[in-house]
Amino acid sequence: MGHSTLTYNEPTTTSTFPDKPDVLVAKKHQLLVRWSHWLNVPILLGLILSGISIYWASPIYQHKPDPITGNTDVAADIGTWICAHVPGLHHYSSPPDWIYNHMSLGPYMLASALRLHWLCAYLFMLNGLLYLAGLALGGGWRALLPRRTDLSDIPRMLWYYIGLPFAKLANRKWLHPGFNTKYNALQRAAYFSIPVAGLLSVATGWAIHKPMQLYWLAALFGGYNAARVWHFWLMWVFIFFALTHVVLVLADGWDTLRSMIVGWSTKVKGSEGLENEP
Amino acid sequence: MNPEENRDAQHSKDTSPTNAKTKQGISALSKSESTQETLSESLRVESPGAGEAAKELKVDPEEVKAAALTDVGGSKGVNVGKLQLKLDEVPSLDREQEPAKSTPSIAAEPAPILKANNFSREQPLPLVEVAPQVLRHWTRRDVLLFGVGAVAVLAGGGFLLPQDTLSRLGVRRNTDSPGKEWFLNRALRIDDDVAEALYSVNRRVPTYTKSKITPLRNNYNGVTPDPGYISGWRLTLGGLASGLSISLDIRNLLTRFPVYEQITRLVCVEGWSAIAWWAGLKFDDLLHAYPPMSQARWALVESSVNLDASGNPDPYFMSIDLATARHPQTLLATHFNGQPLTVDHGAPLRLLVPVKLGLKNVKAVTRITYVAEEPRDYWAERGYSYYDGL
Repeated sequence: MGHSTLTYNEPTTTSTFPDKPDVLVAKKHQLLVRWSHWLNVPILLGLILSGISIYWASPIYQHKPDPITGNTDVAADIGTWICAHVPGLHHYSSPPDWIYNHMSLGPYMLASALRLHWLCAYLFMLNGLLYLAGLALGGGWRALLPRRTDLSDIPRMLWYYIGLPFAKLANRKWLHPGFNTKYNALQRAAYFSIPVAGLLSVATGWAIHKPMQLYWLAALFGGYNAARVWHFWLMWVFIFFALTHVVLVLADGWDTLRSMIVGWSTKVKGSEGLENEP
Repeated sequence: MNPEENRDAQHSKDTSPTNAKTKQGISALSKSESTQETLSESLRVESPGAGEAAKELKVDPEEVKAAALTDVGGSKGVNVGKLQLKLDEVPSLDREQEPAKSTPSIAAEPAPILKANNFSREQPLPLVEVAPQVLRHWTRRDVLLFGVGAVAVLAGGGFLLPQDTLSRLGVRRNTDSPGKEWFLNRALRIDDDVAEALYSVNRRVPTYTKSKITPLRNNYNGVTPDPGYISGWRLTLGGLASGLSISLDIRNLLTRFPVYEQITRLVCVEGWSAIAWWAGLKFDDLLHAYPPMSQARWALVESSVNLDASGNPDPYFMSIDLATARHPQTLLATHFNGQPLTVDHGAPLRLLVPVKLGLKNVKAVTRITYVAEEPRDYWAERGYSYYDGL
């Protein structure tokens, strides 16, 4: 806050109030939360890359064999389409493998992919525990809990985000809906959903990894094949979240990004519920 | 505030930032306590206008505290003025404090009741006062550590990627090493141990009705063998308690042992699965009729008729622990869909072990040897797990 008008060296023998030029920072993210947050990056990357290599071995989205190529895989079709339509890719050596060559460890890599996937899966579970411990120790879980007012606040936030680019283009003022909590309603919904998605990924992962010993778990998701579909789309939830998350954090600025590294933020919220820049 | 204490805090700031943090946290807290008092005092006495606003807003003591904290160092008059301003700005705050609507005007008093039954209620973020140079020090240290960690993870993670992937990314150097293999296999083994812990001899896998049967494809790794081998086929048993080697033909097996039917799911390591109708003798019955030597813990199940992709002999061999072999649903299957096995599905006898991945379900079994130590395993030698439990 900007009340540091007196210089640092001035002696303060008579004043009742200290005149340190200190800044107020809000402790935002617990250490373990920060650690687990960043560890998610390589772990999820490993899980996705190896996961799509595993998917390649038996794609869940298949069609009748193509009369010419014998191809049955929708992802291979997408690769073929990309190579046919994206300039510069017309001479790509194996168009059906394009997706697998760019979003996975590669085709024909099932054994290494499985090995890496299990390694990352165990790390992901341990990391999840680390995150939960951080939430519990720092009390951060309270800021994530959904509340009744979110029902009306989420549409308001969505409307704000939808309108923001247009308002910027039109050079018009576009007011951020007020909130006096750590996160706005939309952030809260996202940051609450992602651990839930993590939990579901782990559960569906176990369901398809051990469908005999844990057949009840597979049954919970509608059986072995349905659990594979769940597991696949949960991956897309992470991908979609991560992309949006990165864009919004960068748009929000250095303080927000830094707070996930250092733990504190200089954006200190007063009782008025608006953010004060230092 | 005591200037002595103040100097102390500054002193320790220079030597140890962590220490400074805690000290300042405490001093900030005590500051806020006293300021809160004076603040509510001034709210009541000096500024009736602010009192009115507080009534309307039902000021949460927590929030007064936060406001007080942000204003530490200012004068009383400024505090009140500021608060008043804030109150005027955002009247929508009372959304969160609905139940306290009828509480009388005094700002700082009704604290404990609200807090007690709101364990899960979000608290304001804790505030810390820090000197700018300490903050810079923290930032430099943490961002540097973060960078070092990121580079280390990037290098370590990249190192663990398969060589083929790295080559495709343009990495020339060969990263394959015994250490890398050991590490990755260690992860596989941990998963195997977890699977073993999950496994229960008494747990049956789900069985299905005939209406649930799905097509089962022939997933022979190489070329499907020519059916010529079937006429001369025999099953040889080794590693028996008797010390003898036993050779049985399919008629021996089918007349000696009762035949059981089961409709179970076969799950392939590739991810696909099929519900199939099998019939055959129980592995357990064979183990009782021809007991293995006492120290045996494993069965090596082999097929000598297996071919590779170019049609050359490529004997197939799989390890099965005896606990799994004794599982009541582990069959030596002779029939598929009510008919004798076709060559596609491993005529005349295949291992059907529904608690393991399909690759353990050896087709056209020609030899079973009981051994004490974990035997070789075709797919484990090609980078897959040994255990393959489902």
